[in-house]
Amino acid sequence: MSNLDSVPDLTPPNSKPDPEHQTPFSTNEIDEEDDDGDDENDVEDDEEDEDEDENGVSGGPNRPKPHSREARFRSEKLKMDSLLQRMKTGPVSVRIHDVIIKGNTKTKDHIIEAETEVLNNVGSMQELLKASQIVNLRLQALEIFDSVKITLDSGPPELPGTANVIIEVVETTRPLSGQIGAYTKAEARSSTVEGSLKYKNLFGYGDLWDGSLAYGYDHSAELSAGVFLPRFKGLVTPVTARAYLLSQDWLTFSSYKERSMGLSLGLFSNQHHEVTYNLAWRTLTDPSQMSSRSVRRQLGHNLLSSLKYTFKFDRRNSSMRPTRGYAFVSSTQLGGLVPDSRSLRFLRQEFDLRYAVPLGFYHAALNFGVSGGVVFPWGNGFSSKPSSLPERFFLGGNISPVCALGGPTTLWGFKTRGFGPTEPKRRVNNENANPSGVDFLGGDLAVTALADLSFDLPFRWFREKGIHAHVFACAGNVTKLTEFEYRNFSVQKLVESLRSSVGVGLVVPTSLFRMEINYCYILKKFNHDRAKTGAWLTFSSAT
Amino acid sequence: MAQVGERESEELTLVTTKPYFDLPTACPLCLPLFIYLKLAHFPFRLSFNSIFPDSDQIPYVESGTYVAYNNENGGVIENLKRDGIVDLDSEFQSVPDWVAMKAMISSWLADAMMYELWVGSDGKSACKIYYSDLSWPIVKVLFLKQVYSVKQHLGITKDNAEQREDEIYKRAKIAYGALSTRLGDQDFLFDDRPSSLDATFLGHVLVTLHALPETSVLRSKLLEHGNVVRYAEKHKTKLIESSSSSSGPQFRSVPSSSTPKRGPSNWSSKPKSQPKREKTEGEKTFKRRARYFLAAQLVVVLLFLSLMGGNDAGDMELDDEDEGNAFD
Repeated sequence: MSNLDSVPDLTPPNSKPDPEHQTPFSTNEIDEEDDDGDDENDVEDDEEDEDEDENGVSGGPNRPKPHSREARFRSEKLKMDSLLQRMKTGPVSVRIHDVIIKGNTKTKDHIIEAETEVLNNVGSMQELLKASQIVNLRLQALEIFDSVKITLDSGPPELPGTANVIIEVVETTRPLSGQIGAYTKAEARSSTVEGSLKYKNLFGYGDLWDGSLAYGYDHSAELSAGVFLPRFKGLVTPVTARAYLLSQDWLTFSSYKERSMGLSLGLFSNQHHEVTYNLAWRTLTDPSQMSSRSVRRQLGHNLLSSLKYTFKFDRRNSSMRPTRGYAFVSSTQLGGLVPDSRSLRFLRQEFDLRYAVPLGFYHAALNFGVSGGVVFPWGNGFSSKPSSLPERFFLGGNISPVCALGGPTTLWGFKTRGFGPTEPKRRVNNENANPSGVDFLGGDLAVTALADLSFDLPFRWFREKGIHAHVFACAGNVTKLTEFEYRNFSVQKLVESLRSSVGVGLVVPTSLFRMEINYCYILKKFNHDRAKTGAWLTFSSAT
Repeated sequence: MAQVGERESEELTLVTTKPYFDLPTACPLCLPLFIYLKLAHFPFRLSFNSIFPDSDQIPYVESGTYVAYNNENGGVIENLKRDGIVDLDSEFQSVPDWVAMKAMISSWLADAMMYELWVGSDGKSACKIYYSDLSWPIVKVLFLKQVYSVKQHLGITKDNAEQREDEIYKRAKIAYGALSTRLGDQDFLFDDRPSSLDATFLGHVLVTLHALPETSVLRSKLLEHGNVVRYAEKHKTKLIESSSSSSGPQFRSVPSSSTPKRGPSNWSSKPKSQPKREKTEGEKTFKRRARYFLAAQLVVVLLFLSLMGGNDAGDMELDDEDEGNAFD
C-alpha cells in the first residue's frame, strides 16, 4: 500500500474510482466489525470536514472539481467505500495528532482529557473507531453532559497519517434531578425506599453531589449527603465521599437503638474490587430500659474506624432471576484502624457463592447458594471480649435469599432477627404483665445454604409478565464464638442445631422490586425462634 | 463453665464507671451506692461500663433478670429499699434532722460537686473519671455537651456566672458546717449507725478529697472540717481498702419472687422523665391491622403500575439526551 498524503484521502492517489462500479455503502458490516453492542454509539467516519480542507476531491490533482451537490455526495461516498474496503482488508494506520475539546464552559478540560487517554495509543483506523466509542461511553457515564459528539478530522496537511479528534460536549442544562427508588442493601438485610436529590457538576470537576433520605422496612432511617469525584488528584478510579446520619431501631428484637454519625469514603472501585473506609461515631441506647444483660453491657459510645474490601465476581445472567452462571462475593472488614486502642477493633469476613444451572424446559433453573461469615474482636484479651453487637450476624428478614448476594442474611420463613442466641430481657415486676420475652443477640459465626428451583408457568400471560413459580429449601445457623464460647464449638453441634425450611411460591418481578408470595413450611426450629409455617410475602430489589 | 456463668448472673452486680484516683469508682453518683452496699455488708460483684458516661441509667444493680436503674423511682437506693433487698434507713425516717440533711446533701452538695467537676475546675478530673475509655473526638463533643447541660441545670449564664458560683460555694460551705456539727466525733451521722445519708455524704467527701484538683475551691472548703476528713478516711480504709474481693465465698441473690414492700407495684420500666401513655391491647391490634391494610394497598398499587404500566414508575430522573452520540 502506497503512502497516504493524508488520512481523509483514503483512495490511492493514482486510482480512478469508477462511479458505475461503486460498491454500495453498507453500515452493517462496519457495525459488526467495530461496534461492540450499543447502537446509539454508532461510529461513522466523518469525511465532510475533510473535504473542505482538501484542494482536490479524490484521486490525483488532475481531476476536475465537481460543481453539483450530487457529484459531491457521489465522490464522498466513493471515498467512504474505498476506506471501508481498505479497513476490511487490513489495518489502516493512523495516529492521533490532537484532541480538541469544545463546548465545556464549566467543566474543567482535564476532566474530559482524562477520559480520552485511550486515544493516545491508537495505531489504526479500526482502533481509533473502537477507542472513540469507549471515550463516548466514558464521558456519558460522568452524567454531567446532555450529549457527547465525537468527530474525526484530518490532521494538519504537513503531517500525513494523522487525525484530529474533536469532542463536542453539551453540558447539562438541568443539573438538579430527583429520584425515588427501592433498594435492598445486604448490610441492612431489608428493603429500603430512598429518595434523593442530585446536583451535577457544581464546581466543574465532574463532581456529583447528592442528598438522600432513606427509610427501611426494619425501622431504619438514614439521612446522608455525598459527593462523587471522577478524577481526584490523579487517582485512577473515582472517589466517593459520603457523610451520613443513620438511626436504626432494634428495640423490638434486641432492645437497643443504634445511632451512627459518620463519614464513608469510597477509595477504589471497579468491576470486581471495592475498597471503602468508614469513620463513624456510633451510640447504642436503650430507651425502653428492658434490655438483657449482654445488650446492657454494650450500650454506649464507640468510635468505628474500619476498612472494607469487597471482591465481587458475578457471571450470572440476572440478579433478579438467575438461570445461568455463577457468582462469588467476599468481603473483609477490619475495624480499629486508628492508633487509639479505645476504638472498636474487630475483623469481619463473609462470603457468598451462588451457582445457577439451567434445566432446559419451561425456562427452569436450579439455583444453589452457600454463604458464611465470622466476626471476631482483636487486640489485648480478645478471646474474652464479646464482639460488638451491630457487627454480629443476624439472620432473618423479609427479603428473598435468592436476591440477597453478599453474605448470610436470611432464610425463608424466619422473621427479622428471628433466630440465634437469645437472652431473657429484664424482668418486669408486675403480676399483670406478660413475660418480657427475649433479646436476639446475633452470633459470631453464621452459615446458610439454599436451593431454589424456578420455572415458568404454563400460562402465556404469566410468562409475558415474567411471573414464574419456584420451589425452595434452605438451612442456616448462627452461633456465638466469643467470650470463650469457641471452646464449646463443634461442627457437629452446629449441624445438629441447623434451622431449615422448605416451600413453594410465586415470583412476581416488577420494575421496582421482586415480590415473592410463598408458602413456607418450617422443618426445624428451636425455642424462641420467630418463624412461622404459612404464607409469606417478601420484597427484594436489585442489590 | 455455664454453671459459674449462671451463678455470676444471679449474684448482685453493681455496674458503675471505672475506678480512678484510688477509689473503686470515682463518679460521685456511683460511689455512694458502692459504699451503701458495703455498709450494709451486702455481698456484690463490681462491674464497669466505661463507654456510656452520659447515661442516666448508670449506676445500676442487676441480679439475673432483675435490674434497678439509677433513673427510676428516685434512684437505686430507693429501689433496693422498695424491693426489700437492702434498707438501712428504716429507723431514721422519723428523725427530725433526717429530711433536712438529706435535702442538703442531695441538692446543695450535689450541685456543688457537679459545678466543681465540670465548670469550676479545668475539667481534667471529670475527663479522667468519665472519658478515659473513649476516643478523643467523642470525648471532646461529650464534654462540651455536658458542660452546657450542667450550666443549664444550674441556671448559669454569662451574666450571672460569678454570682451563681458564689451562691453555690456558699451553700456548700453551709452544708459542710451543718453536717460537720451533726457528725461531731461519731462514726456515723445518725445514732452511730450507718444509713444511706452516710453513704451519700461519704461518696461526696471522698470524691472531693481525692478526685478534685488541689486548687479546687470546694475541696479547700471541705478541708476546713477536720472531723469530716477523718470520718471519710476512716471509712475508706475500712470499707474500700480492706475488702480485697468484693465477691465473698457466699453470695446472696435477689429472690425471683420478690414483691415490693409497700403499695401496689407500679414498676415503671421507662424513665420517669418521659412517661408514655399505656396503649390497650385493642388499640395496638387496631393500629397493626391498619398498617397492614395500608401496606397491602400500596403493594397492590405498585404492582398494578409496574405490571400494567411498564417503565420506571418510581424513577423521576431527568433523562440525559442520547441523540448526540452519533459520529458525524
